[in-house]
Amino acid sequence: MTSHDVTLEWPDGRTRTIAVREDETVLEGAERVEIGLPFGCRTGACGTCTGRLLAIDGTKRGDGVDTGGGDVEAAFAYRRPPRALKDRHRDDGYVLLCIASPRTDCRIAVGSSVHTELVENPWK
Amino acid sequence: MSGSDTQRGAEPEHDHEHHHHEGPGYATPQAAIEESEREKLAYVMSLYVGTDVDASDFVAVVDLDPDSDTYCEIVDRIEMPERGDELHHFGWNACSSSCHMDGLERRHLIVPGQRSSRIHVIDAKDRRNPELETVIEPEEVFEYDLSAPHTVHCIPDGEILISMLGDADGELPGGFLELNDDFEIEGRWEPPGEIEMNYDYWYQPRQNVMVSSEWAAPKTYYPGFDLDDVEDGNYGQRLNFWDWEEGTVEQTIDLGEEGLIPLEVRFLHTPESTHGFVGAALSSNVFHFYEDDNEYRAEKVIDFESREHDDWDMPVPALPTDILISMDDRYLFGSNWLHGDVWMYDISDPSNPRRADSLSVGGTFGERQEVQGRELAAGPQMLQLSLDGERLYWTTSLFSSWDDQFYPEEADRGSVMLKADVDPRKGTMELDEDFLVDWGECPEGPARAHEIRWPDGDCTSDVWQ
Ligand code: FES
Repeated sequence: MTSHDVTLEWPDGRTRTIAVREDETVLEGAERVEIGLPFGCRTGACGTCTGRLLAIDGTKRGDGVDTGGGDVEAAFAYRRPPRALKDRHRDDGYVLLCIASPRTDCRIAVGSSVHTELVENPWK
Repeated sequence: MSGSDTQRGAEPEHDHEHHHHEGPGYATPQAAIEESEREKLAYVMSLYVGTDVDASDFVAVVDLDPDSDTYCEIVDRIEMPERGDELHHFGWNACSSSCHMDGLERRHLIVPGQRSSRIHVIDAKDRRNPELETVIEPEEVFEYDLSAPHTVHCIPDGEILISMLGDADGELPGGFLELNDDFEIEGRWEPPGEIEMNYDYWYQPRQNVMVSSEWAAPKTYYPGFDLDDVEDGNYGQRLNFWDWEEGTVEQTIDLGEEGLIPLEVRFLHTPESTHGFVGAALSSNVFHFYEDDNEYRAEKVIDFESREHDDWDMPVPALPTDILISMDDRYLFGSNWLHGDVWMYDISDPSNPRRADSLSVGGTFGERQEVQGRELAAGPQMLQLSLDGERLYWTTSLFSSWDDQFYPEEADRGSVMLKADVDPRKGTMELDEDFLVDWGECPEGPARAHEIRWPDGDCTSDVWQ
């Protein structure tokens, strides 16, 4: 089974590159090599596992947010619809790692802080 | 262990033969007040989900006995087998509603994972050292097209009913899942499709009525609170009144804009009563509901004003996220999570609650922002009251993704449990400055703390037939 090199980047600068097979999700691939990533529902509903696509194939993701959605579609196949993400999140390059399987080598920002970027405090 | 002297529910079998007794719990709410001893242990839902701490959520056993060497400490932790649960609300396999059921014990805690949809059963026969007994895996739950388990109550014949907030995909409609007394899924309790949204519920069997409230679809509230969802009508504002025996909705009350996100819903404890209250978290109101001429009505009876804060762009809503009724039905307590208030209203006349007292602690405006030198990272949230109504306890986490939005520091510092001494005669509360349980010091890293239960039944779970 084909696999792709997925580089995980944590906010503290730590990185790990793992080979994730096309028939497993990034979360499953990380668990296989005993890397703990945040998750909750594992069905694409809760957003706890959210990552942000940083680059595909070693090239930087466009220069911006507007091409992120297309980049995510090129980089991953979803097992089921990513219900926890709104269109604006998908366009910004966010990806649900519990249901996304890689289709190319890529780099992803991971860790719980990525999930907290999805919504802000509306009163502040 | 030490529990058997205080725990009615854990009495060995032979005791039942000697006394002509009866099932779990107490015969009446008044008996619960008179016959119960002071709470010595608390079970508290504790969680790591959504943080970078790579550990399972757990149920904390907290020592509440002031004479104990380990007072205010977490003396045991029952860790869940998997990560990612978001332990939230939980309940007993039996309560005072089964007081007549000989041989049934208040012994097993049903502990659902809000995000995982995994349902754990903990055997708490040994009150200080409970053990995980059974796990119902999410796939088994999804088969009934349900997810996101929330409130657990027992049905008076030994079965267990759990409100479920979503379908298998985390969308609407939600429903109710029934477990049998062997902790296996019995099936759906209601004909599917009776309701859209679901959240908390309470039943009053003598009146053959159940009331349920509304949060939102799991996919809406899981990622965090988004004002766009309010504008799109994705949050609830209705109460559903059910025929308890038939499992069908008889009446739905739309609370309107002042009743946005009705969360915790409580009937008075008196089994004859048809009065109850629900807190509307987003619109910061409390509604009184009651039966009048075979129909339920709901009226707004408490209103919390938003407050201006220099560092916030818009007036900050109070966000009353939890309410509870004292066992004698005299007081309604609540927590305004954003403002940082714990409040107490006299509800002797339920249509006209009279403000008795409040405490300003934690949150965005709290007059006290630390206890014993420990900075408070969030406002008061889940409450629990002693059966005699003299001690009020609370924790500070609401829901991991909502915590991160409104109190991001809580992820680094963890939750606390605090306590106030209540004088029910005078209607006053005073913060107990000697009491602090700190989830910031857990071995794997800071954890959040949510719902609180006593081994012997409490003001937010016991129901009478
Ligand atoms: S774990 Fe819930 S969306 Fe991935």
